[in-house]
Amino acid sequence: MRSQAMFFKARAGDKLADRQLQANLGKAKSRFVEGRAQAVADYDAAPGADFEALRDAASAIRDRVLANLDVWLETFEDKARARGAEVLYARDGAEICRLVVDIARRHGVTKAAKSKSMLSEEAGLNEALAAAGIEPVETDLGEYILQINDNEPPSHIIAPVFHKSKEEVAELFARTHHTPKKDDIAGMAREAREVLREHFMSAEMGISGANFLIAETGSAALVTNEGNGRMVTTLPKVHVVVTGIEKLVPTLEDFSTLMRLLPRSATGQRISNYVSVLTGVKGEGDLDGPEHLYVILVDNGRASLVGTEFEPMLRCIRCGACMNHCPVYQSVGGHAYGWVYPGPMGSVLTPLYTGIGNALDLPHASTLCNQCGVVCPVKIPLPDLLRKLREKQVELKLRPWRERFALRLWGWVASRPALYGFAARTAVRYLSRLAGGADRIRALRAAPEWTAGRDLAAPEGRTFRELYAERVRHEGRTKR
Amino acid sequence: MTEEKMRVGLFVTCLVDLMRPRIGFAALRLLEAAGCEVVVPSTQTCCGQPAFNSGDTRVARALALKLIAEFDGLDYVVVPSGSCGGMIRAHYPQLFDDDPAAAARARALAARTFELTDFLVSVLGVGGVPGDFEGTVTYHDSCSGLRELGVKAQPRALLAHMPGVELKEMAASEECCGFGGLFSVKFGDISTRVVDRKCDNIRATGADAVVLGDLGCMLNIEGRLRRRGDERTRVLHVAEVLAGED
Repeated sequence: MRSQAMFFKARAGDKLADRQLQANLGKAKSRFVEGRAQAVADYDAAPGADFEALRDAASAIRDRVLANLDVWLETFEDKARARGAEVLYARDGAEICRLVVDIARRHGVTKAAKSKSMLSEEAGLNEALAAAGIEPVETDLGEYILQINDNEPPSHIIAPVFHKSKEEVAELFARTHHTPKKDDIAGMAREAREVLREHFMSAEMGISGANFLIAETGSAALVTNEGNGRMVTTLPKVHVVVTGIEKLVPTLEDFSTLMRLLPRSATGQRISNYVSVLTGVKGEGDLDGPEHLYVILVDNGRASLVGTEFEPMLRCIRCGACMNHCPVYQSVGGHAYGWVYPGPMGSVLTPLYTGIGNALDLPHASTLCNQCGVVCPVKIPLPDLLRKLREKQVELKLRPWRERFALRLWGWVASRPALYGFAARTAVRYLSRLAGGADRIRALRAAPEWTAGRDLAAPEGRTFRELYAERVRHEGRTKR
Repeated sequence: MTEEKMRVGLFVTCLVDLMRPRIGFAALRLLEAAGCEVVVPSTQTCCGQPAFNSGDTRVARALALKLIAEFDGLDYVVVPSGSCGGMIRAHYPQLFDDDPAAAARARALAARTFELTDFLVSVLGVGGVPGDFEGTVTYHDSCSGLRELGVKAQPRALLAHMPGVELKEMAASEECCGFGGLFSVKFGDISTRVVDRKCDNIRATGADAVVLGDLGCMLNIEGRLRRRGDERTRVLHVAEVLAGED
């Protein structure tokens, strides 16, 4: 997927003006936010259970993996190979596409059924498959909806059609499937299932992501709410897992710890409808399972974060809680962010994976309110990372000169109390004159975006320093 | 035996200095009423937060060092702002990763710096307050005060001491108002959308005033309420309510 992150501001403006989207975002938000809050409260209500302690344990697991990522990768590789899987590495998106197309050609694949994989979005895998004459079919209900809507990108990492209303989907289905318009979700799901069933039966290859890779068993774990994940990973004779190198966890025990957090943080569920732990190829006497299993472990920028100040970002387990709780995401939705990952985690990942200079707005598109950090199941300090990216921009002189100059000037003035006092007095006089006797200023040339949406309260007329100095003088006189 | 008075430095903050001096005086009155000797260093300016949040650590460090020196030797430093208090408490120490001496001084200052209501309740155990506000209020929890300093119960406890005040909680009081410092200047339209949700929640309580502990939120919420045509709901800093008229 080509990044459009540099156009965040313009795209955000469009999204704010989209009334339908705004209505949809409002509804979806409350569902996820309240759902998580309830799930956390329920968890904490059990004797001896402590969600905070669980978050600590989970981030420790993730850190343990990242500290020795090479070792855990090797362990995984050995175990997975022993169970008949082929483990491949991909440096970037282009390499993912090449590997998957090669595998497809080797097995004479003409159609690939896909279960959601954000990495295939990073790589633009669908286009590459199509270009190679292989039909990719998205089988996640959300992803399927987007695919038939002219390959629209997902706007959320776990709820790809977060931004759409039921009515919009009903119309899309009626138009695409040439069926009468339905008004119930169950009916629409049934309709999609009927269409997709054909594809499950005829696809020679299944492509999935993995929520976790378990080193001690060489397994890929898949967490879903739809049965399609199991169809894609077991029906076709070839199964390809595409996932990031950072998705490793050492043991099944660790996996179960993370599983207490992931569904609760993501959808407010205690457990998702399906949790599949897939190990190796179909064994002798097994009724189902793929005959060929490929696990493609992808770097695409991840390895370069290991050992840096941004390493905590690699703890991410892709639950989406940060975006669900982000006031900015809630206002503009996922598409405004312009790449695969939206919200606070996307504002960190996009510049890191696609280039700091290509996503200058994203680290600033946050009020640093830290709602994201508070809900992150693995305690990623998202506001700190956003701020570090802002520092990088300043170091690399990527900020507009006006902004750099204004900050330096402010620092210079604020370091000199007498000068600061003078500047403050002048500013207050100026603002008072602008207010012209009223209690507010309606338009301010120095901050046009501020007064486009709100008034600026007029200052009281004199600064605290002036008034306090006067008081001190006055008290000195009366005391004498 | 005369008891030694606690020497408390008041960090006024630049927004209070510029926009609402009366909040600084209200804080001063509250501290004096609680029996503190209040010191207001005359050279204080800005804590460096705008530079820090913009990624300009050089400027942030210079201003931090200046403030650390100004408030040296005092028993406590009190700030009528969650975000400036959070800057000193949560962020000053990490500004000096490569300068152990400065880091130690920053940590020492951080350890004795408090947001105003937190100081009154947690350190002084204040019971009564001088204010005499009459009416229903709703409290907006500013992000830094809440999540960096744990300020939530303290202002409510102080308001509960005021017989004329009835507190009506708004929905999502912990949600950001969309100010975010320069965020509201860089992304005015997103900020407006966020503050609209806050204004809706405030209005739904029917309160006479929204009370809060941060100048940024105050200017943002007041500015949006007025632009939306709400001339009735007052927007007050908690210090003003607690201290009453001079």
